[in-house]
Amino acid sequence: MLHSIYATTMSRNPEEPVYNRIEEARSTLGLSRQDLADKVGVHYQTIGYLEREEYSPSLVLALRIAKALNQEVSELFSQTPFKKGK
Amino acid sequence: MMRKRNKIYWFEGVTEKGVKDLLNNDNSKFRWLRPQRNRRILVILMALGMVLTSMGSYWPTLKTNLNLSPGVGLIVYSVTAIFIIFAVVVCYSFLRIAVRSIADAPDELLDERQIAVRNTSFRYAYFILGYVLLGLMVLMFFGPELQMFQPEGNDGSYLVIAALFATAALPSMVMAWRERDI
Repeated sequence: MLHSIYATTMSRNPEEPVYNRIEEARSTLGLSRQDLADKVGVHYQTIGYLEREEYSPSLVLALRIAKALNQEVSELFSQTPFKKGK
Repeated sequence: MMRKRNKIYWFEGVTEKGVKDLLNNDNSKFRWLRPQRNRRILVILMALGMVLTSMGSYWPTLKTNLNLSPGVGLIVYSVTAIFIIFAVVVCYSFLRIAVRSIADAPDELLDERQIAVRNTSFRYAYFILGYVLLGLMVLMFFGPELQMFQPEGNDGSYLVIAALFATAALPSMVMAWRERDI
């Protein structure tokens, strides 16, 4: 239990991490974390946690982020790491 | 234009405006409390305060050891009690501010990650509370001054106060200790 108290990641399933390209897509649109947070209705720190892949979003939040960034969910999120620059 | 009323969440002990102000990043008030190191110092101070409170029934013993007259002893005892309880309450207030009241806020004021963080903190706090109560119970039974359920024993009311502090503060303490960014 002590190990869990020290752990800071909030992945829904640490065995199956969810990778994303939120930061890249956000930068392309010139949005700040606060801008994106306001668009999808979450705290700006939640965007930071998502970008660092320390938190896996619910399907609803993933859909809202995809819509805000004009992307498909499958373009933004993946169960395998994205290749750099793609 | 009519001003929106500040909703009070009686059960959680927070107000809508209070939580929203603390969650607002532009609010620079008490920002110095937010770094994890400062939050952890607050958690340690709070834990120390709770230990001191739980030892309340031993304060008369300290008084006796100082060989004070009964009148002066009572004043020293009362001032000590007021000071320690006031310090713990202040510490608890700072702790709530340090975690932006997320541990006490209702779902409708939080996003899904904050709700997950709050729920996880409560889960661990519940387990820790069990151990805290176990410790207090051991003190109740075996503490020389206390000896609960014994005719010559003390009433142990400070243990109840310490247990109340633990119940109220543990979720915020767990969150303040665990979270990197709040």
